[in-house]
This record gives sequence, structure tokens and C-alpha cells, in this order.
Amino acid sequence: MVRSARQRDVRRHLLIYAGLTPYLVIAIFPIFWMLITALKQEPDLYRMDVVPFWFHLPPTLKNFALLFQSTFYMDWIINTLSISFWVSVITLLTAVPAGYALARLKLPGSENLGIGIFMTYLVPSIILFIPLARVVSVLGLQDKWWSLVVVYPTFTIPFCTWLLMGFFKTVPFEIEEAARVDGCGQFAALLRVVLPVSWPSVITAMIFSFTLSMQDFLYSLAFISVSDNKPVPLGVATELIRGDVYFWGSLMAGALLVGVPVAIVYNLFLDKFISGITGAAIK
Amino acid sequence: MAQLSARGERDRSAALAIEVAGHVAAPRWWRRVAVRRYVFGYSLLAPAVLFVLLLVGLPFLFSLYLAMSDASVGDPVARFVGLENFRAALESSAFWSSLRNTLVFTVGAAICKALLGTTLAFLLMQPFRGKKVIRALIVMPFTIPIAVSALGWKWMFDSQFSVINWALSRLHLIGDFGTAGWPVWLGEPGLALGSVMFVNVWRSFPFSAIVLMAGLTSVPPEVIDAAKVDGANFLQRFRKVIVPMIAPILFVGGLFDTVFTLSDLSIVYLLTNGGPDGATEILPTLAYQVGIKAGALGRGAAISLFLFPLLLPAMILLLRNLRRREW
Amino acid sequence: MAELTRRDFIRVSGTALGGASIATMLDARQAPAQNRGTTLRMITWSHFVPAYDQWLDKFAREWGEKNGVKVLVDHIPNLELPARYAAEFAAGAGHDLIHFAAQILTGHYYKNLVDMGDVAEPLGKKYGGWMEAATSAAQVNGAWYAVPDYFVPIPVLWRKDLLDQANLATPDTWDKLRIAARTLKSKGHPTGMQFSHCNDANHNWRAVLYCFGARETDPSGQNIVLDSKETRETLRFAKALYEEGMTPEVFSWDDASDNRYLASGVACWIHDAISAYRTTQDTNPDVYKSTYVLPEAAGPGGERKNVGEPTVFAIWKFGKNPVAAKELITYLADHQVEAMTASRGFNMPFLRAQYKKPMPVIGEDPKLSPMQDIEKITAFFGYPGPMSPPAQEVVTTFVIPDMFTRVARGQNIDETVKWGVGEIRRIYAKYKAA
Repeated sequence: MVRSARQRDVRRHLLIYAGLTPYLVIAIFPIFWMLITALKQEPDLYRMDVVPFWFHLPPTLKNFALLFQSTFYMDWIINTLSISFWVSVITLLTAVPAGYALARLKLPGSENLGIGIFMTYLVPSIILFIPLARVVSVLGLQDKWWSLVVVYPTFTIPFCTWLLMGFFKTVPFEIEEAARVDGCGQFAALLRVVLPVSWPSVITAMIFSFTLSMQDFLYSLAFISVSDNKPVPLGVATELIRGDVYFWGSLMAGALLVGVPVAIVYNLFLDKFISGITGAAIK
Repeated sequence: MAQLSARGERDRSAALAIEVAGHVAAPRWWRRVAVRRYVFGYSLLAPAVLFVLLLVGLPFLFSLYLAMSDASVGDPVARFVGLENFRAALESSAFWSSLRNTLVFTVGAAICKALLGTTLAFLLMQPFRGKKVIRALIVMPFTIPIAVSALGWKWMFDSQFSVINWALSRLHLIGDFGTAGWPVWLGEPGLALGSVMFVNVWRSFPFSAIVLMAGLTSVPPEVIDAAKVDGANFLQRFRKVIVPMIAPILFVGGLFDTVFTLSDLSIVYLLTNGGPDGATEILPTLAYQVGIKAGALGRGAAISLFLFPLLLPAMILLLRNLRRREW
Repeated sequence: MAELTRRDFIRVSGTALGGASIATMLDARQAPAQNRGTTLRMITWSHFVPAYDQWLDKFAREWGEKNGVKVLVDHIPNLELPARYAAEFAAGAGHDLIHFAAQILTGHYYKNLVDMGDVAEPLGKKYGGWMEAATSAAQVNGAWYAVPDYFVPIPVLWRKDLLDQANLATPDTWDKLRIAARTLKSKGHPTGMQFSHCNDANHNWRAVLYCFGARETDPSGQNIVLDSKETRETLRFAKALYEEGMTPEVFSWDDASDNRYLASGVACWIHDAISAYRTTQDTNPDVYKSTYVLPEAAGPGGERKNVGEPTVFAIWKFGKNPVAAKELITYLADHQVEAMTASRGFNMPFLRAQYKKPMPVIGEDPKLSPMQDIEKITAFFGYPGPMSPPAQEVVTTFVIPDMFTRVARGQNIDETVKWGVGEIRRIYAKYKAA
């Protein structure tokens, strides 16, 4: 009895793993390949006569060393973290109240306002960056990473407002009312009651702000030309490609060093994240 | 009714009762609270709305103006030319092939993402050992900055040193290097479009899976059990019970993703720059080439805004319906 | 990879500067007073020879030390410069000295660029005059709105060992290049020119067109003359060259692919800037030894035209330090020998007197020495017209490479010419209307 139950369990696991294999291969192979490339010596990259999946010259950390020694990679990481942090802060400070107001206060026109805010997402950045350049310059932020802190919320706020609006609708009205009966004002009720139960969605919004901030290329390209003020994606893509020479190894190293930690953090919050989106979309 | 449905969870009849009672018993009190609520509500909304209005709304009006003027990058004093730039776009064959590619790219990639995402979500819903690790691995394509991972793909699609070809060739699925059986991923028009689509799918399918997992989590197991008891097989259960229940989440996920895909030019820009012979040119890359690189700002703006009149009504309808539905 | 890393470099030059500081201070006293204490921000592309960027940074900084100007140099990839300039122009603020490469947008921005006659004219007088092609990129309506810096030729790089083995002579005509590719492809050494959306494709196929006597426009740059028997002949030639001497890889190539093709020892010849020669030198010394350079191959009528990549300096009207910027441009032109040396022979001068043989680097390398005559055969986009905004749009929308791609992939030549000419006419008509 016990044995057959275990056998069944093993078989079920094998089936699941077998089913997952193709997905894992698709998702992971390119990343594995980036890692291998990052650790290979340059001549090793161009050998087609031997199995490319492994090293034929000893692996090297030279590509990583190049990042830290001859580019401003450390500055780029700090810039990216700072940008993402401030973008998240601005996004949350604006999107949380907005989402709450749209979801719960039955304001006239709130539905259209919600749609309107989301619509701004559709405006193409290839045109938007030109007027925004003016804004950045008026604020005196040209060539400073702070310029991106101003610009990125243009796409994180609509997205996160929408997300949070959905989630706030799922919070039962009763708990807020109970708080008000206890003498809380509406704002206090938002802070003390609604926010605490909504934290998965707040974290979701934060992670989204973070990842969205890392996906931009055009804005950073247009607004920042000073090497030590660039964020990671711009720095890597502009300083490790020189027209007809690609520093493949360092490019890949530069991508992995930010991508992997974010994936780990992402995964830590994934369950919260999932319940965050569930609420947002369904309700 | 709109106001009613916006109330969400709340018990409908109770709400009605309160409202009616309010009207009858103390209109002035009701009004006072409502006013306070409005002030409170709009001041909560103000920062987000102001930000979006100032940094997206105004610039957007400016780009609408650009699209209807003969502005160039170096000449802000532009003449109003009406719909001339849109007409210019329609006259060019590059525009039509870009429009077609954009649609194929967006729709094709969306279908692939939906298929991969759904199946993966089902698998990840099962309890099994090592789930956390596998999940962490699978979300990685989504967390690496696209500007850089696209370069990784460029290297994998290299005509000479492609690791994909190396592997396929050793498995005898394709020919050797230098023969006709050696696919040049970014060089054959059909393959090239497929390849850039694939990179988009690769990057976003983990996200689709997460969104779908969220959707599936929301389907109460009792509903599925009930369907099982009724003798529905897996496909029937999926089609008749699960799909309708997760439809809204599919819509929203699909919407976000479509907008992402439509506005993202980095994959095409970095992999093929629209080549060969325009086979992978999409509207954002064409707009960038005409508007920024060649400096014809007005015509570039018209190209990039071309989909807007199509998308806008579709999205408004979709979002409105979504909100109206009661669950 | 260059020996000096950026940080090491900064450290090294920092100490050197410390040592020289007294001399510098003395120099600074003689500098024009108006410059002292100012800042000059300059932007240029990321040079294909990284060592040149390091040299330029140091050169500019040292000039600044001497003149009491704080000089900051930024580098971004050549293809991304237009977006940056669009943003700077919209902002009305940015770098004090800008540098166009790949896309020369003088024609778009000239109303907002400082007149450069007072820099360009004296330089021309001092150095035997500007070469003819210089005006195409730097002048608008006969006035200087930019100062030419250097240009990048795109010569033929060929493998003498492979051609010798097949008893083939120096491939100084396109026909000989075709024969070499046909002969050597069967031995595993095809050639390759990009049939794709990349910068090299724009250069290469125009070079062939011009060598065959075809032209896009007449000298006024107003009338399209591409619909010609020469154009058809070039397309036929390109199709044959592709079928006999290349593999389908060329449809996917970017600017870097032909470099790798040469450096990996596969290509029998390529048509590319000498950065490919340098990459090969650094990574594959054996192939490098037998790689030779020809400025350009001749077409059927004996015509040779090389479509180079010019770079020019310009100054925004809103730039904050035009005086210092102009002085730096002149100072750099006066030190052309050092600059060309630092670029390992990549940067070719626009000033005639600077072609006095032997030229730095390329005069000393027997394989590169034929490049000393490149000035005579250089043309730029839009030739024989100027690099005007419509000429630029034809380049950035890849009409010419697409025509060659269509024909190589089997489409009818007449239809392709009709299509290409139609697209080009449409583009030119837009600018005429405005």
C-alpha cells in the first residue's frame, strides 16, 4: 500500500518534470548560454568544431573583471537601484491613493478616469521622448539619472494604478467601516486598515515598477550620455558594443549580474504577486 | 447602474437600502458627506492625475500636433499639414509591410504566449518538489533587461556561430554550415519574423504563465469538482468552466501584453533593424527610422500614432465591459 | 582589447598631469582669457577603434588644462546619436560641441547651428584646401555649418594567400572580385556583403552602384536618376555575385558580421572599414599576415568610387562655449597626425595637405599604403548631390539595400528598380513640398 502510493507519487513527479522540461529548456537555455559566453575566453567563442556548450580554453572571469575595471558598471548598478527605488516610491505614493480613490470612493467619472489613466500607456515613447526632453531640461536634470526618476513614472503610474484599483475593490467594505466606527478618519482607515490587508498588491506594484524601470532603453539613451550616470541596460548596450565589435562576454556578464538577483527577489514574492494580480484582474 | 456595479463586493440590496434611506431621511447630511468624500477622493487622485496629465497628456497633444505638421527634428516652427503625413504613410510600401508585420507579430506572439502560458500555468499549479527553484528559473527571461537579452539572442542567431544551429546540425535535423540546410535565422524573411517573434514570446511567456496562474488560483476548486461530478472531461471542464471564469484576467493580461509588444521596438531594432528587405520592420522601428534617424519628425509621429485610432476604441470598449461585469 | 583599462588610464594620466601641473599652469596663463574657468562638454560616437577614444579623451583634457577649460567628453554609439541630438535640440540644452557620424543631420539642424566659416575657411587655407566631398556633409547652401573631422573609407580587404593559391591576380576590378569569390567559394572561402538593414549595406551597395556608373541623383541633388541601365547592370552583377560567391548568411548580417567572417579565416575578401583589418590583427595573426587592402575595385568602365563615412563637428546655437569649442576643433585639426596614429590609420583627413606621403600608420604599412590615395575616389551618401535630408532618409530607410536584397532573392530587376525609384521619388518629393 505504502509502496504503491510512493510509486504513484514518483510517477506523478516524473510526469510533471517531463512536462516542465521543454519550458525549462526554452526559458533557461539562452540564459545558460549567456552564462557560458560570459565565462569563455574570446577565441573559445568562435570555435565551431567542438561542443560549444562547454569550455575548451579554461573559463575566465576576465569579462566580469572588464565590467568592473574598465567600465562604470558599479556606478550603473547603483544608478539602476536608485532609479528603481525612487520610481517605486513615486509610483506607490501616487498610485496607491489614486487606486484607492478610483476603487472605493464612488467618485463621479471615476470609471472614465481609470480608463483614461490606463490609456496613457498607449502613447508611443518614440515620440514622447522629444517633448519630455524639454521637461527634463527645464528641471535641470539632463544627463543625470534623476531625469529617469521623473520620466519612468509615466508608464509605472498608469499600470500600477490599474493594478491597485482592482485589488482595493476586493477588500471588504466592512473592515473599513469597522475602523471608521472606531473613530478613524477615512484617510486613517486607508492607512491602518486597507493598506495592511492589501500589501501583496502593493508589493506587486513595487516589483512591477522595478522591472518596468529596467526594461527601458530609449529614454535613458536620449537623456543620459554621461557614462557614470547611466543605468545598467543603457551602459551595457552602449559601452560594450563598438560598431563592428561586440564584447559578447562582458555584455552577457553585465546582463546576468542584474537579471539573476532580480529573478530571485521576484520569486520570493511570487505568491504574493500572484494573489496581487488575481485581485486586480478579477474584481 | 454604473455606480452600483462599481461597488463591487458590497451587498446590493443593502446598499440600495442605505442610499434610499439617506435620500429620504437627511439629504443635507448626505450631501455633506458626499462633498467631503469627493474632496477627499479627488485629492487622493490628484497627484497621479496631475503627473500623468503633465508628463503624458500634454506631450501627447504635442505629438498629435507633430503628426499633423511638417515638423523636422531641427525645425520646431512647423506648418499645419492636416492628415498629409498619414497619407504619406499610406502611400509608402514600407508602411504597409510594417503594418502587416506588426499585426502578425502581435497576434502571432500573443497566441504563442497564451498557449505556452496556459499549459505552463497548469503544470506549475500542481504540487511537486522543487517548485520554487523551477519557478525561479522560469521567470528569469522576464527579469533580464530586454535591451541586453536581445543581444544574447542575436549571438545565438548568428549566421555563423549560432549555437542553435550547431546543436540542430549535430542532431542531423538541419544540414551542415555552408549548405542550404543551415537555416539563417535572421536572414530568411519568414524565419526572421518568426525569430523576433520567438524572442518576444521567450521573454513574456513566464509573465503570461504567472497571470494565468493567478487566474486559475481564483477558480474555486468546488466549481471544478462539481463539473467533474457532472462527468465533464478535462477539455470540457477547461472550455466550459475554467475559461469563462478566467476570461477577465486573460483579457487584462492580454491587453497589457499587447501594449507592451506594440510599443517595444528593442527586439527588432537590435536583432534585424527591420531587415531583410523590410521583412521584420514594425511600426515602431519604421517610425524611429523616419522620425528620428532621418529627422522627419512629423511623418514619424504619424506612423507611430497610426494604430492609436484603432486601439483606442477597442480598449475603451474592452475595459468598460470588463468593469461592468459582476462576479 | 586595449592594454589600458579606463580606470587604469585615468589613474595613469592623473599622475602624469600632477607632474606636469606647473608647466600646465604656465601655459594656462597664456591662454585667451575668455576661456579660462569655463567648461566644454563634447559628445562624439564610440569609435570603432577603442584606443582612439582613450586618446581623444586625454588629448581634449590636456588641451583643456593648457587653456584653463574643463573638458568633458561623452561617447555614444554612432547609430544612437540622432536620438540624442533630437532630445538635446528639443531640450534646448546639451553638449557644447557635437559630432555627427553615420547620420549627418547638418541639413536638418543648420538653422540652429553656429556658422563655422571662421573655422573651416582658415583650416582649408592652411592645409591645401578641403577635399571636394567635404562640403557635401558640412555645408548647407554654400555656408559652413559644420567642420569636417575625418572620414572612414570602406575598402576591399582581400586574402592574398587564398587568391595566390588559385592563381588569381590582385582583384582590382569588381569582375575580378566576382571571379575570386566564385573560385574560392567552392574551396570553402566565399565572400560576403550585407544584404540587410545595416550601415555597411548602405555603403557597400552604393559603392558598387557608383563604380558601375549609376547615380541616385544629379549633382543638384534634386532629380532622381537612379532609373538607368547602369543601375540594372549593377543589380544583375550583385545577383550573380551573391549566387556564385556568397551564402544566404549575408541576408542576416550586421555591421560586425563581415569582420568576423574575415577574422575567422573564412572570407576570401570583404568590403569593410579597416577596423576589420585591426580585429583580424588582434585575434588571428595568420590571416592578418595575408590580408591585403585595396582602396576600391573598378567598375566595368574603370570608375572607382568609395562610399566613405564622414564625421563632422558642429556647435548648437544654444551651446554655452562656442569659442572654446571652435578652438578645440582647430587644435585637433592641427594634430591630425597624432589623431590618425591613435586611430590606427582608421581616420582619414579631409584636408588635402594632410595626404602628404607617407601618411601616419598607413604610409608605414605596405599593405595599407594604397589607402593614401583614397581621397581621390571618395564619395558620400547622396553623391554627386549633397548629404541632404532626403538623401539621409533614403539611407535610414534602407531603400538601396532592399533593392539589392530583392534582386538577389530572385525578384524581377525592372520591377525592383521601379519600386526603389518610386520610394526614393516619394521621399524627395516630401522635402520639395516643404
